[in-house]
This record gives sequence, C-alpha cells and structure tokens, in this order.
Amino acid sequence: MSSPETITAPRPARRLTIARAISEAIGQEMERDPAVLVMGEDIGKLGGVFGTTTGLLEKFGAERVRDTPISETAFIGAAVGLAASGMRPIAELMFVDFFGVCMDAIYNLAAKQSYFSGGQVTCPMVLMTSVGGGYGDAGQHSQTLYATFGHLPGLKVVIPSNAHDAKGLMLAAIRDPNPVIFMYHKALQGMGWLGTVQRSITDAPEGDYVVPLGKAAIAREGSDITLVGLGLSVHHALDAAARLEKQGHSAEVIDLRSIAPLDRETVRASVRKTGRLLAVDDDYMSYGVGAEIIASVCEAGIPLRAAPRRIAHPDIPVPFTPVMEHFVLPDADKIAAAALTILEP
Amino acid sequence: MTDITVPAGLWNDGDEAAISAWLYADGDAVSEGSVIAEIMVEKSSFELTAPASGILHIAVAAETPVTAGEIVGHIG
Repeated sequence: MSSPETITAPRPARRLTIARAISEAIGQEMERDPAVLVMGEDIGKLGGVFGTTTGLLEKFGAERVRDTPISETAFIGAAVGLAASGMRPIAELMFVDFFGVCMDAIYNLAAKQSYFSGGQVTCPMVLMTSVGGGYGDAGQHSQTLYATFGHLPGLKVVIPSNAHDAKGLMLAAIRDPNPVIFMYHKALQGMGWLGTVQRSITDAPEGDYVVPLGKAAIAREGSDITLVGLGLSVHHALDAAARLEKQGHSAEVIDLRSIAPLDRETVRASVRKTGRLLAVDDDYMSYGVGAEIIASVCEAGIPLRAAPRRIAHPDIPVPFTPVMEHFVLPDADKIAAAALTILEP
Repeated sequence: MTDITVPAGLWNDGDEAAISAWLYADGDAVSEGSVIAEIMVEKSSFELTAPASGILHIAVAAETPVTAGEIVGHIG
C-alpha cells in the first residue's frame, strides 16, 4: 500500500573536509560533462596526495583520471592543448612551488589563449595546486605564491577557506571558459598529517551549486576594524577577532575567496564602515595581496581613522626549522597585536 | 551509550593508522550513518560513520594513532 502523501525526509546534516568537497565537485562535474578529465601525479589510485581526487579513478576509469609522470612541463602543457581542443581538463600541480618548470604553458599560453584569438579559442582548464606551510616542509614545499599568479592577466585565482566554498568554487572554476588557478591550503585540507583547522570542515549541499568567482564573503561582522584574509588567514583572523572582542573591539573579517578577480567593493564597503584596515596573508610581503588591498581602499579615498597595516610572510624563504617558521608565519597572536596598534594607537 | 569503534579488516595489520579529522566537535549532535571522522592509513583515507544518533563524545583526538577495534569515542 502506498501512502497518498509524499513525505520528504529532511536533508541529513553532513560535514566535509575541503579535500572531500573538491573530490565531490570534480566527480559531479565529470558525471554531468563528458569533456571533464583530471590529470596529475598520484591523482589516480592514491586519490591525490592531498585527497582532491578521492574515488574518481574507481568511478571514471584511467582514461579520464590520468596518473602522469613527474613532468609538470608535459602534463600541464598537455592540459592547455586539451582545453584548446574542447576538453575541460583539471590538472593538479602537487605543490605550487614547482610552477617554474610549467610556467610558460600557464602564463604565456593558457592565460593569453582567449585574448590572442579574439575569444575564438578559450582555455577552460583548472590548475589545482596546494599552497602553504606551517608543518616543517621547508622553502620548496611551503610557499603560497598567491600574488605571483594574481599578478598575471588572464588567470583567475581562487582560494577557499572552507568545504562549502571549496565545492562551489570548484564547480564554478571548471565551468569557466578561462584558466582558473584553484589554490587549496594544506593546513585546511583535513589530512591528518598536516593538521586541520576544525572550522574549515563544514556542511556542503550534496547537489549542484556554484560560488561565483570574484565575490568575497563577510566571515564575521564587526564595526571597529576590517581584517581581510584568504584561505588559512581567514581562520587566524577569526581567532584574532574573538580575542579582540574580549578587549572591547568589534572586528569584521572578510574572506576574499578569490584574488583575481578581486572583490574590491566588498573590502571598501567594510572599511567605509569601520575606518580601519589590516590585511593578512601568508604569501611574501612585498608586492603582495595586502598591498593590493590597502591600495584599493586608499585609491577610493576612503577616510581612515588610523594608517592601514598588513601582515604577511617576510621577504625571505620559508624557514625549515619549526621555531623559525612559526616565528615568521602570520597567526592569531600577530593579527590581534597588529590590530591593537591600529585600534589603540 | 554506543561505542564508536575503529573498524577491523580495512587495512593491513601493522600499518600505522590515525584519525585525520573529526568532522564534528565534541558535544555536537550527530545522526546514525553520518560520516563523523576520517582515518588516514598510509595516505589512504577511510570513513568512520556514526553507529547511532545522539551527542558525540570524542575520546581520542585527531592526529592520534589508532588501531582496529579501538574505541575512539561514544554517542550518548
């Protein structure tokens, strides 16, 4: 006997790590669009060193989930060619630090494909890559290099801070007609050996949704100072904001989610309200994201109650020794201390 | 009160296993069948599901080595 009424069960709550969210997004888009494929080192049987392709080989087979030799020059160049031929490749550069051997394909070919051809040949590829340190992996496995990529016209650059955004940004990235550099921070991946910020593990709808590229989020509302971050530094800023609250200061935290395009308007609107600005990222300081944020606010002529500041990694290679590495990496203590110099000069 | 036990037989004896992440915090409500933790073994990931619905009590923190059959928390 069937019931005359349809009873819909409520959607069960679930939590995903960013790694799972990325894998789920890629898998769903591969089901929807036969032109999507994945290539990279250890992305097949292993499911990616950072868990970004978990379960995909079993589901889609080795034609569409291609383990490659350790030659970024070859497989990222191949991805650019595939994209020009109508496919939608996702290539994983295991560590962003190794962009050197494949950069010509990225910035001279992929980034300029659409511009040079008057839009007749696009380059719908995603280059996903791990960024960040904090776990003693030294100067060739710990860089973020956001600004290196954000500086180059023709590339979009996104960095999720949580699983919900990771899935929606990845679906948007795959569907974008131009190359998207999808950076995920190792400290947020949910892989035990790297540590994980619990707040990055969030609910994410099982179905299809997109987080638009180039739209920042207000991670926490506040009225006295604007803290701007991306990826891991959003979480450091949120921790700092909680401490500042105990000292009577209300901090707003902005999660950029993307630096190219950069949502300058959301930053400006926040600083118009608070009158104070501290930008935080873990890339090298000079010519970096923080400088661009501060310039975006100052060029708009927004009145400030104190000089704006930035926190970033100093202009030295990332140290190997944990004591030295943590001495230079941004964290909640450094953010709270810098914010107080702005709030209580 | 239902124990949360690391399942046996998923990986080779002797391989080092650890909880890579608890997907819920201590004291969160969870429902039976939800994935509540991930266990990393030699860079492969296994899911741990809630054996019952209720409040999660974590006994073994993330990034701690575990063995098959070990009780890592309970649901009450």
